[in-house]
Amino acid sequence: MDTSKLKGRPPFPFETIAVAIAFSPRLEALLSESHHLAKTFGARLILIHVGTANASKADKIQKVCAKAGITNPEVIWKEGTPATTILQVCKENTVDLLVIGALKKESLLRFYIGSLARTICRKAKCSVLLLTRPSSIRRKPERIVVNGVEHPKTTESLKTAVYFAEKYDVKEVKVVKELDMTGMAMTLADDTTASHANKMKKEITSEAEGYLESIIHQCQTRQVQLTEKTVKGKPGFAIGKYARDKKADLLVLNSPDKSLGLLDRIFTHDLEFILEDLPCDILLVHSRNHSEK
Amino acid sequence: MNGLNSTELIVLLLSISVMLISSRVLAELGKRWKLPVVMGELFVGILLGPTVLGLISPETFSFLFPPTGNVPIAMDGIFKLSVVMLLFVAGMEVQLPLVLKQGKVAISTSFFSMIIPFATGFAVAWYFPELFGINAEGKIRLLFALFLGTALSISALPVIVRILMDMNLFKTNVGMVIVASAMFNDLFGWLIFSVVLSMAGQPDNMNIGYTILWVLGFGIFMLTIGKKIIDRILPWVQNKLSWPGGVLSGTLGLCLLCAAFTESIHIHAILGAFIAGIAIGDSVQLHERAREIIHQFVTNFFAPLFFVSIGLKLDFVENFNPVIVGVVLLLSFAGKVLGAYIGARLGGMGTSNSLAVGFGMNARGAMEIILGTLAYQAGLISQPIFVALVVMALVTSLSSGPLMRKFVKT
Repeated sequence: MDTSKLKGRPPFPFETIAVAIAFSPRLEALLSESHHLAKTFGARLILIHVGTANASKADKIQKVCAKAGITNPEVIWKEGTPATTILQVCKENTVDLLVIGALKKESLLRFYIGSLARTICRKAKCSVLLLTRPSSIRRKPERIVVNGVEHPKTTESLKTAVYFAEKYDVKEVKVVKELDMTGMAMTLADDTTASHANKMKKEITSEAEGYLESIIHQCQTRQVQLTEKTVKGKPGFAIGKYARDKKADLLVLNSPDKSLGLLDRIFTHDLEFILEDLPCDILLVHSRNHSEK
Repeated sequence: MNGLNSTELIVLLLSISVMLISSRVLAELGKRWKLPVVMGELFVGILLGPTVLGLISPETFSFLFPPTGNVPIAMDGIFKLSVVMLLFVAGMEVQLPLVLKQGKVAISTSFFSMIIPFATGFAVAWYFPELFGINAEGKIRLLFALFLGTALSISALPVIVRILMDMNLFKTNVGMVIVASAMFNDLFGWLIFSVVLSMAGQPDNMNIGYTILWVLGFGIFMLTIGKKIIDRILPWVQNKLSWPGGVLSGTLGLCLLCAAFTESIHIHAILGAFIAGIAIGDSVQLHERAREIIHQFVTNFFAPLFFVSIGLKLDFVENFNPVIVGVVLLLSFAGKVLGAYIGARLGGMGTSNSLAVGFGMNARGAMEIILGTLAYQAGLISQPIFVALVVMALVTSLSSGPLMRKFVKT
């Protein structure tokens, strides 16, 4: 397999979009959304199904695809462990964006065991779009929130969000930075005067705003207005809450730096807070330039 | 039931007032030379205790801090409550997800900065107990060796965070590795110490296996299911009940409940408070303001009382043994700096930053003093060893920042 095309490949433009399919009641809506995405981005669309190929399944897929508006579906059939197999197919086909349907919230047990959609998010080596409410009738995203975490990947994620917003003609994208005040309470309680405490808090906020301004400056375009916002709270949780409160349609995040495991779910942090209860559709941007092997 | 009479109540209130006001005055003076608050509080204890006041005016000393009657009993209750509250806020700062987030380097640094000081402390105490003026055998020798190993393994998170913030290193890679590793050290250090304390208070035939099982069971429950329950209840408490009264009563109530539970299963109350602190402090639902209020309340009311009380209990001059102090200082520096250095290097950090991590984690601060006090009260250590631990806590806290500054590369 030639994976040389993957190394250093930018997260956009989306040239190949894949959709992971299973025979669920939401299949038609998921295919319809994926078809629309492929048309919008001018991308090749491939359908991945993990399971044994047979005539009845193929027939069913053809029918659902026809309903979703896909005329000549390119279906890849593979057998194996669903998450690993899907990700392998994505790698082999240089997929830029993998689309999966996901429930907003899962039962506690399911969360710990790990559903297919969540497992893929934890391990993916390409960008992933989690659709929480796939619909046959297209909804145009209106409110996009991007995580402005201080990380080398963030600029590429923001550029990808802008690319997405331009294609969907979204006028404003909010870049949100979470201010984790861990450690502040104990420092302030020690021997700090009120004015010093306020000064420290202001410094932290203005430092965060400075960072946002710098990345916004790098990604600003004429079509999309990028605005900044800082929110206090734990990374992952705070931005998820913000997206939910603001009724965002899409939350854009960096892909995790390493494969997340069970311990990361027990001692929840960052992306795991969002996967626990999806506030809206999620776009995980995988920046191959900065990712780990 | 006999309670405090009017005179006793006056004495109690007076002594608390003197302790609070004088420790604040000294802490403010100390700030000018960038000395930690705990130093001022300890110094007040030395001034008000047998070392100074007891020597120059024994009548005033025994009036303010009577050795018998109801007042010392009431005082003892307040000091015990203070240490429970101190461990509660210490627990609130332990963020286990941070250790995971930092990945390999934090786990490796945590592990080695714990295991090497523990092993060196244990080995020296076990093979050369005479260095510490101990000539006991069997269980007492084992308990002392276990205690010294643990005492050398822990770190003082609040001191470390303060140093890192002052040096503008808190958010750097070095800073996050130090904080994450110190949190991990504290968690395991207090777990081991609780088991050691419970062994000290129990007859020889006590089943240590059960104690460890209880400790682990309680810890795992609180940090998984307990934490989830807290996450569900806290928003309701914060939104529907009086603010901040509701969250203060709820969190402090839960802290005392957990403390009572661990005490009832023969594990010291501090462990219950510490674990409750981790579970509550790690909750994403806890408002920053509530966290600050709890910290302010404990740090400015309970902490001064506790640290002043240390000086009231013993004569620091008489019990200062230069050999013991020297050995404890040498062991503390060698074990911690070397352990953290090896861990950080194996985790992939450069030589210079690994040394900075080592010196950063070497700060023991108030945590060491709390640990020493409890061990002294439980009869695990003598007065000279306790004094040596206090000196070590102060020296490591004061030297941590300057030594770290020498090596850190951002």
